[in-house]
Amino acid sequence: MTASVLAAGVLEETIRAFFQGLPIGAGFALVAMSFVLTYKTSGVFNLAFGAQAFISAATYFELHVRRDWPIWSAVLVAVVLVAPVLGLLLERLIFRHVHAASAVAKLVISLGLLVALPELFKLIVDYDREQPFGAVGIIPDGTTVYRLFGRYPVTRDEIAAFVIVIAAALALAALFRYTRLGLRIRAVVQSPRMTELNGVNADWVSSGSWILSSFFAGLAGVLLVPTTSSLGTVLVPQGYFPIVIAALAAAALGRLVNLPAALFGGLVLGVITTEMRTHLPRDNVILNELRGSALPYVMLFAIIVFWPAIRRQIAGADPLLGVSPPPPALAATSRSRGMTIYTRIMALAFFTAVGIWTFGYANNFWISRITHSVIFSIIFLSIVVFTGLGGQIALCQVTFAAIGAFGAMQFAQRWDVSVIVGMLAGAAIAAAVGAVLSIPVMRLGGIWLAIATLAFALFFHDVLVKYGWVGGSLFHGRGVPRPQLFGVDFSSHKNFLILCIAILVLVGVLVILIRESSTGMALRALRGSETAAESIGVISWRSRVIVFSVSAAIAAIGGGLLAMEEKQVSYEANYDPQAGLFWLVIVVVLGARTVEGGIQAGVAFVIFPELILDRWLGLHGAWRYVLFGFAAISFARHPEGLLEHGKRRSQALMQRAFGRRQPAVAAAAAGPEVDAASETGDGP
Amino acid sequence: MSLLVADGITKRFAGITAVDDVHIALDAGERVGLIGPNGAGKTTLFNCLLGLLRPDAGSVSFDGQNITRLPVYRRARLGIGRTFQRVELFSGSSVRDHLLFAHRIRSGTGALWKDVIGLGLPKPAEIERCDALLESLGLGGMGDEPIEALSLGQSRLVEVARALMTQPRVVLLDEPSSGLDRAETTALAETLARIQSEQGFGMLLVEHDVELVASFTERTYVLDFGKLITHGPTPDVMRDPEVRAAYLGDFVAGAQ
Repeated sequence: MTASVLAAGVLEETIRAFFQGLPIGAGFALVAMSFVLTYKTSGVFNLAFGAQAFISAATYFELHVRRDWPIWSAVLVAVVLVAPVLGLLLERLIFRHVHAASAVAKLVISLGLLVALPELFKLIVDYDREQPFGAVGIIPDGTTVYRLFGRYPVTRDEIAAFVIVIAAALALAALFRYTRLGLRIRAVVQSPRMTELNGVNADWVSSGSWILSSFFAGLAGVLLVPTTSSLGTVLVPQGYFPIVIAALAAAALGRLVNLPAALFGGLVLGVITTEMRTHLPRDNVILNELRGSALPYVMLFAIIVFWPAIRRQIAGADPLLGVSPPPPALAATSRSRGMTIYTRIMALAFFTAVGIWTFGYANNFWISRITHSVIFSIIFLSIVVFTGLGGQIALCQVTFAAIGAFGAMQFAQRWDVSVIVGMLAGAAIAAAVGAVLSIPVMRLGGIWLAIATLAFALFFHDVLVKYGWVGGSLFHGRGVPRPQLFGVDFSSHKNFLILCIAILVLVGVLVILIRESSTGMALRALRGSETAAESIGVISWRSRVIVFSVSAAIAAIGGGLLAMEEKQVSYEANYDPQAGLFWLVIVVVLGARTVEGGIQAGVAFVIFPELILDRWLGLHGAWRYVLFGFAAISFARHPEGLLEHGKRRSQALMQRAFGRRQPAVAAAAAGPEVDAASETGDGP
Repeated sequence: MSLLVADGITKRFAGITAVDDVHIALDAGERVGLIGPNGAGKTTLFNCLLGLLRPDAGSVSFDGQNITRLPVYRRARLGIGRTFQRVELFSGSSVRDHLLFAHRIRSGTGALWKDVIGLGLPKPAEIERCDALLESLGLGGMGDEPIEALSLGQSRLVEVARALMTQPRVVLLDEPSSGLDRAETTALAETLARIQSEQGFGMLLVEHDVELVASFTERTYVLDFGKLITHGPTPDVMRDPEVRAAYLGDFVAGAQ
């Protein structure tokens, strides 16, 4: 008897969770359809939809709740006006101009926007609330509860969200089926060039789909506010992350190209979310976290690794794909001899001057800033290795840095081992984690690799850190001592700086050795042509796994040093996955290809907000996200980085000024216009 | 026994049988041609031999070992080299890097730990070896050139050189004449013939250019609509009235 009562209770809970999951899933589905629409029509995997959803939600909140606008006018402005216009601007001003860039380059741009847009919005609107109060949906009296079939409670907001999304999906289907725009979008999806040959303006179609998808994202933003309280909410910065990830998972179910699958996937994932929340036991850290925001990350990772359709995905069915020019010259890395000498002299002079000032005159504040710069340079060299040399994007370097920091902390706290040994152990653990993590996803490469590593970073952030054996216990604190090595005490600021510089030099030399040796050759070969590399016996995924592990270890060493410098693991301040996105953006913007580029990014990361923004310009520190975020657009054109590009240009100008003939390669590298044309590859 | 054998290869795409029960065999040191009109299934068969496609039926064996299910890189390591119809080079690398890297892969000297302690940098002996091969292919002195600076004909030779650095026992050439004019094709053929007779690797030439096949190969297979319609010594195949009428048309008649 009791068993059947219990079973009936479980059944009732299951059904209730099902009805609660549908509206959440509807929000996921809307964002997922946005992903699919833009990916299909312009090849852009636009992670910035998360930011766009946030902007619409926050605009609605500002207007309706804080300024008392009526609901209809706030919705009109936030969803019908702001969202599509923003999408149109992004397409017109940015993505249209990087049409021929690789999917990875476009992903980097969208990451930059994901970092920049919310910060820009907050700066402009003076929107700075960590916790939104009185968040409401777009339906009057949205919290009114109805009982479906007399027993399952749902709110008006939830019903509205579900109905609106289904209506939007049906409208989209009708648009594809019955309108000229729909027909053209379908044609452009098959082959943009073929469609243009038939007299259709593919750019115009692409604008149309961006307007549509941005409208969907904005709508999702306002619809999700009242339904996702326990998922984090779109109204706080970072709150939209779980939603983006869940939407990504839904879009991944349809391999990023199937709209009905994205819709269905979103709904299913929404239901799974609420079912898990209802049924998972509460007495286990991991399972308990899965009840909340961690679930989307796990689902996304699992889908990417196990969903067979992704493995089978065939790239480029466009019959005219073969006629497009190859992506702009990556060859721009080859430098003239004069350039190298010039750079070295400048660097030597610079470092001598900074060294004299630091060790002779600087106060502790500046020594600490410079130490931070050196440490971030080390961390950023891990991005140089994997992204600059390997040509792949990983978004979990921040996690590896955290592993290094926690390694140093745990070994010092628990076993009283030297903190340096702890850091190295952390690096070994990070390398192992990197290898295990990357083996299943490295074969996929490109955007899938980026997304899977992001899911891992978020999972670490939400779940693993909470374990005592990872993140330490509150009881012991997260203190980390400064090291002693071979009888030398590195606890003073200057001594520790010297240690960091020594490690930076070691790691820098290591990176150069790797670049110039077999591993570097393998990476260049794989980036040049994976098919050709395999035809001479390269095991592509293995080379990448090795390099990923090396890069993880480097990031962990940097993370360990950072913990020693700050004498504690400031996890929230330094190792947040969103901070990791900014790391990647700043490195690729300034120059991911060279050791110098990594160091310049490290210096810029620490000094730029402090010195230039705050002291010289008197601007809010958040402007760095905006500036570097938008600067990521340059990655499509100058994959070697802005500083590297600028140096080459200035050198070419100097050579011209002094009347010397410049080598052909330097000339090709200096002019952006020449890039695409100089590498026709198979042209006679 | 033949070195490379394709036995009863069948490959279908969505109901279309692209290659239908095809047998071909290639002996060590032999020069063999594979011709056929567009859509005959040449490229499909080629991809089955290389491991880019898995045949629906039949088997591929190399030196007596069944390699039907081996991935591309394993076949490469056994000694099957290839070139590409649409040139596939490693942009951002110099000409010599292509050869050096292929050599490292072949000799298995590319371990990470060697890189880390500085043993992975190019050695004078390796550079010499690469430059010697470049010299014999007529690319002497171009080792340091960026690959983007080369003409198409030179790029094809770099592909050949890269394949040869892996010390292959058979090289599969995918339409090496495509995109080249008559004079360039002739020059390429001469260079290929010379280096082949020096090094003695087997060669399978998949070609449109019937003249090149006629001048260059000892035996020829002819495919049409996925079926092998004839094979034999190249001169005999070229004289075969069925082949001439159906596939080569007036072209051969005009060329001779």
